[in-house]
Amino acid sequence: MAIIETAALTKVFPGPDRREINALGPVDLTVEAGEFICIVGPSGCGKSTLLRILAGLEQPTQGTMTAEATDLQRPFNSMVFQGDSTFPWLTVHANVEYGLRVRGVPYRERDEIAARMLRTVGLSGYAEAYPYQLSGGMRQRVALARALANDPEVLLMDEPFGALDAQNRALLQDELLYIWDQTGDSAGGGARKTILFVTHSIDEALVLGDRVLVMTAAPGRIKAEIRAPFARPRRTHELKRDPVFGELSYQIWEALRDEVDAARASELRGQR
Amino acid sequence: MKNRALNLISPVAFLVIWELLVALGALDRRFFPAPSETLARLLELLQNGELTTATVITLRRMAVGFVLAAVPAVVIGLLMGANRMARIILGPLITALYPVPKIALVPMVVILLGIGETSKVAIVAISVFFLVVIHTMAGVLNVEQRYFDIARNNGARPWDLLTTVAIPASLPNILTGINLALGFALTVIVGTELLLPQGGLGALIWKSYNVYDIPTIFAGLIVVALLGWAFTVIMGEVERQLLPWRVADAAPARRRLQDEPRLRRFVRTWWLAVRPFSFTASVTPVVLGSVLAAYDGAWSWLLFAITLVGSVSIHAGTNLINDFYDWKKGTDTPESLGPNRALKEGILTPQQVFWGGVFFFALGSGLGLYLVATRGLLILYLGIFSVLAGWFYTAGPAAFAYIGMGEIVVFIFMGPVMIMGSYFVQMQSVNWNVFLVSIPIGLLVACILHANNMRDIEDDRANNKRTLANLLGRKASRWEYYVLIGGSYLTLVLLVLFGVAPPFVLLALLTLPKAAGLMRTAAVHEAPARLNKVIRGTADLHERFGWLMIAGILAAMVAQVV
Repeated sequence: MAIIETAALTKVFPGPDRREINALGPVDLTVEAGEFICIVGPSGCGKSTLLRILAGLEQPTQGTMTAEATDLQRPFNSMVFQGDSTFPWLTVHANVEYGLRVRGVPYRERDEIAARMLRTVGLSGYAEAYPYQLSGGMRQRVALARALANDPEVLLMDEPFGALDAQNRALLQDELLYIWDQTGDSAGGGARKTILFVTHSIDEALVLGDRVLVMTAAPGRIKAEIRAPFARPRRTHELKRDPVFGELSYQIWEALRDEVDAARASELRGQR
Repeated sequence: MKNRALNLISPVAFLVIWELLVALGALDRRFFPAPSETLARLLELLQNGELTTATVITLRRMAVGFVLAAVPAVVIGLLMGANRMARIILGPLITALYPVPKIALVPMVVILLGIGETSKVAIVAISVFFLVVIHTMAGVLNVEQRYFDIARNNGARPWDLLTTVAIPASLPNILTGINLALGFALTVIVGTELLLPQGGLGALIWKSYNVYDIPTIFAGLIVVALLGWAFTVIMGEVERQLLPWRVADAAPARRRLQDEPRLRRFVRTWWLAVRPFSFTASVTPVVLGSVLAAYDGAWSWLLFAITLVGSVSIHAGTNLINDFYDWKKGTDTPESLGPNRALKEGILTPQQVFWGGVFFFALGSGLGLYLVATRGLLILYLGIFSVLAGWFYTAGPAAFAYIGMGEIVVFIFMGPVMIMGSYFVQMQSVNWNVFLVSIPIGLLVACILHANNMRDIEDDRANNKRTLANLLGRKASRWEYYVLIGGSYLTLVLLVLFGVAPPFVLLALLTLPKAAGLMRTAAVHEAPARLNKVIRGTADLHERFGWLMIAGILAAMVAQVV
């Protein structure tokens, strides 16, 4: 069952000198419930804009988006933002329960949920710490825990691990996969969460996703779709030894290369 | 750390050279009185009350003007930051008026409001208003857009955006504005008092100039400088309390005690060993009792200092002796070694800790005996009872702490006894009002102990130590916690309603959010780690509650003088 469907979605931003900047689309996208979709594309192609439209933070200029919420009690989506997105003035615990608090979940219940989420991401000992006391990787886990605490149907992740070093990144990828599998267990409320994950990294996209969507240079459209046929549960570092992995990685790069060149060329034009 | 000593070189050298030049006759004494002469005049003016009265008048004008302006300024600043329309409409007016030198407005203000108090308060209010508005607005405008996105994605409505993002994120800026405004208000009010010399520090300086009383001018200037310094220190503390998430420069790595130079090591070692952070439990009641006496008209700095140093010495001695006995019992498990760092790092031997305790006890007792000799036998009785209570607290076959009497004993001795004792030292008499006022503090001290017992319910039960907490069980002991906390606030309100305490002590109600947070945490958790936070939080609550009560009584005194 499709949980999100977009038809001819475009976004136009007002630019300098009354010109218009075509940032996105048209994008036709169908996301099945429980799917893990990764989106790669050159810088500035509108990946983040697409995610922001799906999150409801931005209105599309044209086109339609239908979201099929199955459970109206739960928030439909939660986003893990690019870079550090913890509130520096809240403790780790208060950050994680933020969404529950503004939605009016009673203290006792949200306290318990937040504590559980902190255990899930391995930060129980830091509940009362402030973000400035944590490393970048830990803060990103706090942001993930906050999104998970909302228990949304769709998790939107905008280059969540982009700012991390390679080791931390690999660790968090494994953790994310593990947590995602957990939410698929009957204990986690039945169905696996649907995840849309924007990244720069081809390897990351292949390691995590069921499908990898390659976007064109701005205005971004979906250029290619590659299935990542690896069995789950996956172990990221073992996956990379698989010859199929190398082949797919090559294919994605082939599809992406022209777009990266195009994006770069338009950047150069912009400079002149 | 070393720099702090170097910091003193230039001002001290300046004063010494000045003193010498006057002594040698190189500077004319009539125009440049020697620092020692100024100091003597300062003390004289303090004694005859002239300086205190002037300071109080200046502070009152500042306080009234400040509150009148700062509250609407924050509201308007928030509005202008959050709403583009408000910014477009109000912005030009604010930017046009902001740079006008406020002291130049004095003539207009006098024409409008006359030369009475109102115009002086108004000048302060005007000076404060613009600084706070502009800083608040800038604070909100500087909040990164993504924080609003995150909040909205988490389901925040417009009101939540204001209360959970805009206000906390701009609080650092708001506080900066308030800090600047305080310094500015001081400058402006003293300037205004020079122009309209009717009471206050500025008037004192101006009048002294008219009669060529130069030392008094200097004394006045010193007080103004000290006030400015005090505001900075207070605001620094306020910021630390309100912005715990913003430690700009991380604390420097703690140096091991061994690496310190010898004298510093000696001082720091003992400083750590006596655990000064626990002192508020005894300092708060002493200050409260003494200030109550001052409110009723009796005050001596000397007696106050002796009472304070005496009580703190006894407290320090108790801490050291406790650590010594803890060490004795805990020889087989090094981790369970109390919180005494000096002992842990092996800088102090247990024997040194023991004799240190004896020294502080002797010092405290000596000061106590002086008070007994000069102020009366009641102090002796209170002292003896306190020592007995302290001894039988954990010792003897029917130790209070082991039969569920801990809270009551602590309530009596760290509350009413200390407060009434300190009051008696100043006043030479006590009355029921003092007892009543001491109840909230006593309840909160008992509450710290109870929070401890709640954490240790299981352990104490296993050790056959009967505390009220484990006698009552987990659930009822939570109720005891609510009752102790709620009781202290209820008593406070009743005290004011029945006219026992001045309404200003209701300042302590500012701690209510913290109390509510603590009760909520205590309601949910059983894990010792979480309850540890409750213990620390309760101690913190006791401290803040006490100091706000003290501040309230001081405020009532200021109100009386004026």
